[in-house]
Amino acid sequence: MSDASQPTIPGGAADAPLEDLLVSHLATQPLSPEALERVRGAVAQVWAATSAPVGTAESERSLWHWGRWGALATAAGLVAATIGFFALKPVGEQARVGTVARVSDGGIDIDAGFWRHHTLAVGEALRVGDTLKARGPALVVLSAGGTLRVAGGSRIAIDGASHLALEDGRLYVDKPPGLAEPEPLQIATRVGLVEHLGTEFEIVSDNQVVRIRVREGRVRFSWAAGVIIASAGTELLTTSAGQVTQQPVPTFGREWQWAAALAPNFAVEGRSLDDYLQWVSRELGRPLDYKNAAAREGAQRTILHGSTRSQATLDALADVLSSTSLTYELVGGAIRVHSDR
Amino acid sequence: MYEADRKLVARMLAGEKRAFDEFFNTSAQRLTAFATRRSGLDAASLEDVVQNALIKAIRRLASYRGEAALFTWLSEICRHELADVRRKAARQPVHVSLFEPGTTEVAVTQLLAPEHLEPVAELNTEQRRAAVMRVMGSLPEHYAVALEAKYGDGLAVQDIARLLGLTIVATQSLLARAREAFREQWRESAPGAAHGGLAL
Repeated sequence: MSDASQPTIPGGAADAPLEDLLVSHLATQPLSPEALERVRGAVAQVWAATSAPVGTAESERSLWHWGRWGALATAAGLVAATIGFFALKPVGEQARVGTVARVSDGGIDIDAGFWRHHTLAVGEALRVGDTLKARGPALVVLSAGGTLRVAGGSRIAIDGASHLALEDGRLYVDKPPGLAEPEPLQIATRVGLVEHLGTEFEIVSDNQVVRIRVREGRVRFSWAAGVIIASAGTELLTTSAGQVTQQPVPTFGREWQWAAALAPNFAVEGRSLDDYLQWVSRELGRPLDYKNAAAREGAQRTILHGSTRSQATLDALADVLSSTSLTYELVGGAIRVHSDR
Repeated sequence: MYEADRKLVARMLAGEKRAFDEFFNTSAQRLTAFATRRSGLDAASLEDVVQNALIKAIRRLASYRGEAALFTWLSEICRHELADVRRKAARQPVHVSLFEPGTTEVAVTQLLAPEHLEPVAELNTEQRRAAVMRVMGSLPEHYAVALEAKYGDGLAVQDIARLLGLTIVATQSLLARAREAFREQWRESAPGAAHGGLAL
């Protein structure tokens, strides 16, 4: 390979066979665009969690360019005053609440003030003060731990580091057990305030109702007429008139599929089958039940290699177990794992 | 000192998204090429290796002092990651591979291969590729990196110069020496048939 724009490299024609050899055998297949985006998302999450939540990132969201002077001098004073007024609160100083890890069907639009409109890509930060509108389903990794899955069409205002307002749409919160947080996540709805107590739950809010479904752990719901603590398998339904009803709801099944479709990737490589089954259990909302000690031991000492990416959780589970000496069945709501093939 | 790389890292540590993008866009595919050339891993495993290497690099970002080019530093982390993968593969208690089961089937059902993919041609190509990689592995690291950047990644000399923190003239000189070293190793290591019959 010779580079016409470059000065001649010593060696000249004698190097041609060598260069041909190197070009043909050193060329490699790049990562596919999808794989590259997955890697970008995962690396960006870690970067978001480890880097300072400030800085010159301000420039990324800056909305105007001072491109032309001179003829616009008269208008400039007025424009500068206006911009100054709205821009005095720099975006970069706002705390990072989370990072976009996955988007589809158009991504997330951000409205962060009068002049600040922006479409977030994978790896970009959500900050206090932003109001986001998800054009399609999106997965957000929260800086304080856990994830937020947002259905397309939802509108959410980020009022504080641990305070969101669901203005419209559907939201799924996953805060894994044992997460140390300075303060619990609170989500305001039109009717009341939902506070997680270590859990997975879903909130739907529209003009008619606010619905909260608890999948794991507990949530506290406070509204004008009282406070209620709802545990896993409970649905709270509120009307705009302020009435709240409570009823049991399954923690698995079709109703949760939209959230399962936004599940973060589980990095299988080098992890035990037991780790993987625990993760599947949470994702599907089905308790894990080892039929006997042999099944548990088998899962604990089996180490997985490869990837389950781009497969639905249950399909991936079937594939994974088909490569092992274990089998599973869905019994009631549980995943029962057997060692006796 | 690799001042530009050090500044880029400082901007990343300060949370500047544009710096992260610059880092990722210039590193990810090059690191993939680096890992591909040093392993026989399939695409999914390569993705994991590159991802893990970049994540480890991000976690250790504060320890980067600019004493080597950022990519050299990254490739060292990637090299350890590849070694880990090999070590794990050698001592796993029970191996369960989840890689695409369909790939063998596809190969078997390909009855008519193009001429250049005939078994003998394939074998020659494979032998030659392996020989190239052996010789590359025997070269000093900066020679190998320069040759890979030029002939594998198709970078222009000024880009390689920027990557290695050298002047253009020094980079040209490095490439010339690297090619000469490659040629000598190639001739010495196995003449004729073992290299797929190619003399340089």
